[in-house]
Amino acid sequence: MNHRPFEDWLLSDEPLAPKQKRELQAHLQACTDCASLAEVSLALKSVRAASPAEGFAGRFQVRLEAQKKAMRRRNFWGFSILTLSVVGVGLWLTWPVLKAALQSPLNLLASWLSYLVSLWASLQAMGHVSSVLIRIVPGFIPIYVWLVILLAGGGWSLVWILSLMKFAKNPQGV
Amino acid sequence: MTDEMTWIIQAQHGDSESFTLLVEAYQTPVYNLCYRMLGEAELAEDAAQETFLKAYQNLIRYDVERSFATWLLSIAAHHCIDKLRRRRFTSVSIDEDEEGQTDLPDRSAPDPEQETVRKQEKDRLHRLLQSLDPIDRAAVVMRYWQDCSEIEIARALKLTVPAVKSRLHRARKALAELWKEEPRHIRTQRRPYESPAF
Repeated sequence: MNHRPFEDWLLSDEPLAPKQKRELQAHLQACTDCASLAEVSLALKSVRAASPAEGFAGRFQVRLEAQKKAMRRRNFWGFSILTLSVVGVGLWLTWPVLKAALQSPLNLLASWLSYLVSLWASLQAMGHVSSVLIRIVPGFIPIYVWLVILLAGGGWSLVWILSLMKFAKNPQGV
Repeated sequence: MTDEMTWIIQAQHGDSESFTLLVEAYQTPVYNLCYRMLGEAELAEDAAQETFLKAYQNLIRYDVERSFATWLLSIAAHHCIDKLRRRRFTSVSIDEDEEGQTDLPDRSAPDPEQETVRKQEKDRLHRLLQSLDPIDRAAVVMRYWQDCSEIEIARALKLTVPAVKSRLHRARKALAELWKEEPRHIRTQRRPYESPAF
């Protein structure tokens, strides 16, 4: 049996014209396939929504509180373990220094001072070298290379900003 | 600003009382979707509670320009689909109603026979729904119980609109096939020409 266009009419959910209704009614009397489709459509449209048992929101609050409590407990233990680990590793790494400091604090202080003085001198030397390079290098590099570097930097920043804007606009998704 | 938007914004700032108002407002659609998807009241209760917990945790990511109902139903549908994928659903009790109690016909109703037929039809449809693919089932429930548009279903289930149309079409045809195969003694007495199409 040809189910067209009756099947389409039943599946479309669109209201039918009086002539179409009469034709469909006549077809449904003879066609069990389309009659089943009509019955299912009717059943789907007429069945009520199921409701939860009384006190659903109250049970949710209890569950939410329990989850928050579990989270706090997890955070507390996580933080405690992390702190103890950091302290332990720190002690283990600094133990030679601590031992020296406990044995002869003056010697340790003197070695630290000498280290700081040498560091200061190194930084000063690096500053001199950098200022000389800044004066000399621009003369070696042609102007178009600077332009390419500027354009590449600008383009990269633009892509970065556009990506950030896109993600800020569409944060949805669970 | 609507009450709902006020509650959402307050809940986004950590006010769980405001979120509870949202739970009260949306408990039925969310529970109904879970119940139709999972088939049992106890599982539906658990899934609906989990849905609201997930929504609470991810509320900061909710885009206020979209429908909150669709967002919630999307979480519920994906939660149920995941649950169904993790375990194969073997059987569904047809003796349970929405509250998980025996669904006896209401003898005090004006027409107890009609009431019995209505309950049989409801159970039957509920049972047949369980035979559908989980995503098709979610689409059917959202379309017929929650009155969602095809665009909303597509957004919620991360499908295209033509895919939603195709799934709804396929699901209803599959339901009609199963409906026809069921024994005649539990078929409804309603005539097909009572269909809304007329």
